Amino acid sequence: MGFSVTTLVFAVIGIVASLSTRICFNRGPSANLFHLTLVLTATTCCWMMWAIVYLAQMKPLIVPILSEGE
Amino acid sequence: MVNEGRFLPTMDLLRSEPMQLVQLIIPIESAHRSISYLGDLGLIQFKDLNADKSPFQRTYASQIKRCGEMARRLRLFKEQMTKAGVSPSTWSTRDNHFDLEHLEVKLEELEAELLEINANNEKLQHTYNELLEYKLVLEKVGEFFSSAKNKAVAQQKELEFQTTVEGSIDSPLLLEQEETTTKQIKLRFISGLVHREKSIPFERIIFRATRGNVFLKQAVIQHPVLDPLSGEKVHKNVFVVFYSGERVKSKILKICDAFGANRYPFSDDLSKQFQTIREVSGRLSELKTTIDAGLIHRSTLLQTIGYHYEQWSLQLKKEKSIYHTLNMLSINVTKKCLLAEGWCPVFATSQIHKVLERATMDCSSQVGAIFQVLETKESPPTYFSTNKFTSSFQEIVDAYGIAKYQEANPGVYTIVTFPFLFAVMFGDWGHGICLLLAALYLIIREKKFASQKLGDIMEMAFGGRYIIMLMALFSIYTGLIYNEFFSVPFELFGPSAYGCRDSSCRDASTTGFIKVRSTYPFGVDPKWHGTRSELPFLNSLKMKMSILLGVSQMNLGIIMSYFNAKYFENNINIWYQFVPQIIFLNSLFGYLSLLIIIKWSTGSQADLYHVMIYMFLSPTDDLGENQLFVGQKLLQLVLLLLALVAVPWMLVPKPFLLKKQHQERHQGQSYDLLYGTDDPLESESQSIPHDEFDFSEVFVHQLIHTIEFVLGAVSNTASYLRLWALSLAHSELSSVFYDKVLLLAWGYNSTIVLIVGIFVFICATVGVLLLMESLSAFLHALRLHWVEYQNKFYEGDGYKFFPFSFTLLTDEDEL
Repeated sequence: MGFSVTTLVFAVIGIVASLSTRICFNRGPSANLFHLTLVLTATTCCWMMWAIVYLAQMKPLIVPILSEGE
Repeated sequence: MVNEGRFLPTMDLLRSEPMQLVQLIIPIESAHRSISYLGDLGLIQFKDLNADKSPFQRTYASQIKRCGEMARRLRLFKEQMTKAGVSPSTWSTRDNHFDLEHLEVKLEELEAELLEINANNEKLQHTYNELLEYKLVLEKVGEFFSSAKNKAVAQQKELEFQTTVEGSIDSPLLLEQEETTTKQIKLRFISGLVHREKSIPFERIIFRATRGNVFLKQAVIQHPVLDPLSGEKVHKNVFVVFYSGERVKSKILKICDAFGANRYPFSDDLSKQFQTIREVSGRLSELKTTIDAGLIHRSTLLQTIGYHYEQWSLQLKKEKSIYHTLNMLSINVTKKCLLAEGWCPVFATSQIHKVLERATMDCSSQVGAIFQVLETKESPPTYFSTNKFTSSFQEIVDAYGIAKYQEANPGVYTIVTFPFLFAVMFGDWGHGICLLLAALYLIIREKKFASQKLGDIMEMAFGGRYIIMLMALFSIYTGLIYNEFFSVPFELFGPSAYGCRDSSCRDASTTGFIKVRSTYPFGVDPKWHGTRSELPFLNSLKMKMSILLGVSQMNLGIIMSYFNAKYFENNINIWYQFVPQIIFLNSLFGYLSLLIIIKWSTGSQADLYHVMIYMFLSPTDDLGENQLFVGQKLLQLVLLLLALVAVPWMLVPKPFLLKKQHQERHQGQSYDLLYGTDDPLESESQSIPHDEFDFSEVFVHQLIHTIEFVLGAVSNTASYLRLWALSLAHSELSSVFYDKVLLLAWGYNSTIVLIVGIFVFICATVGVLLLMESLSAFLHALRLHWVEYQNKFYEGDGYKFFPFSFTLLTDEDEL
């Protein structure tokens, strides 16, 4: 899978999580907005973490070199 | 006036609850009940309207004194129950609710009864102890006399034998003389008990005082004796002193008193001895029965008190807090009412109305309480409605500073970003699972732990159980990203992207693997583990990651400052604080983040340090091999100019605009004064405190703020590198424990060594990684939030809403 496809997967997961939270914990517009903020923040953090590691490995400048004796 | 939510929809926890200053006018007859019901409600923070008065001058000082007296009685009961081994009953009968007078009378009666029982028991015990000592004296001294008598008889027989053998002519004369001497001397004695440690000096002093003209004999009592005076168990000796003459007797008596020796009468008549022993034994039995009955009575009384103790304690705490609150109120004697002022949330208005009406009806008061909202320029207290989940995160923010009223609350994003940054440092999905199990245990046992007292550390862990759960969940996620399960990588999401150059794999340890497949889809490629280039790769990755995450969070902080400025309609802060700050940060460090992403995407070998340094030193030179994209030089030039412009932009205009604003307001105030002369009360209430605008002070403050932001942008970005440092430390420690402990033990092919190795590995993992490392990561995440994130927008100079509430009375409150 490429970068864009997995990013799309994260977006879908974020949307599904938002809808699930909305359905399961529906407690007025103020609380719903709060829950939405939490879900989106969590999704963004997780995506950033994944994206950073993925980008770093797309075109690496160094490669794994085994230790001597292996 | 602050327009609440005019531009933005309201969101839970982002703004503190709207507060209002309210005034209550309560009739005196229903005041106590009104305050009591408001204490149950717990939504008003009363202001002290009698701050200038001393505690003794306040209206209800006598009632508080009475509460203090009752508290003293309850403390006495607690002490007596502790001594008697009676524990207060945990279940409390709420049905019977005494009022203060009844409670006072009852406590007084119980105290008198308890003191009487104690005094009686003490007296009886004293008498019992004395008789016990007397019995011991009778027994021991009786033994003295018996053995002495036996010796005398033996000596007499021996003497008669010698007389017969000698048959001398002088024998009868000597016998007669001896008998005469014996008749003239009448020896007397004193008997009693003395402390064992004092027995030797006691004997010595008596010998010296009487110049050796006494005979003293002592015997050890094997068991400790209850001393009648002190009531304690003491090791004692029985003594008997033989003497002659009244002066010697008085000396001996004084010495006995000085040494605290108790004396008891003793008859040398054998039949009287037996009779006395029988009498004393009889009395001892009777007293024992009486004492036991008294103890049972006392125990019953204490148990009765124990049933109600907790309820009485709680009620007394409530009453005391009610009177303390009533003392804050201003009393109007002529109108027979109390005036109260306090802060309450706006949403609580209807609840307070109902409570006051209920109090009026319950008291059958003719006049109801008056509730009205006051207009004020004072800054209200800050109140966030939290639940058991969000309260611990709010505590993290509050520990830094209480939000100013209606200021944007960093707690909203902290709920996610705090455990996330912790996980960036702690990432290992094996350790994350352990942490999750611990958190779930605390959550599942929630009701049980909430109702009992925990230790300091356990209390903190229980209070933060939801933080720990989120930290654990995010740690599992970042552990999967780092591909570490107790430092061991797995190919969970597909095969590694790296392979050998050819089938022989000879180059694997010289030039290394090559990338033969597409990028490993999720997380770090497992092939890196254990290789020589693992550390350079991970260091580079994690340093860049730290900068990206740090710049993101700092930008979020500055955006929060925009929302604050927008909310308070502070256009100066929008255009002359928020805008230049965003420009400055992103011209430099946002650009650095962009360069990092471009370098990763293109595989460029440009040196980013070089690029950033020479962007300042020689911005017009060619980039050479460090160029990453077309037009980079021009862009860097523009960004540099923007950064240079941003600094005076956020420094200079604001003080001048504030000065102008102040002047305009001052002119407007003149018109208000003219208009206000019609209504004296209105004029008084509307009077604005005349504050001098000190331009130099404002300018210096702005200078400090600007310098702090500019330098802070550099140091805060560097501060985020701790994410890399902590993550590296955690990973390396985990690897060391795995390789040097577990694998080493496995290599010995011995069951004993393997078991020991597993045990050491578990102890090291729990003690070092799960406890110490998690605490370390927690503290660093805390620092990143308090300093790097919150100082971008958070003033935190408010004060917390502390309502008058009975639920806030804790067990630790002094009665």
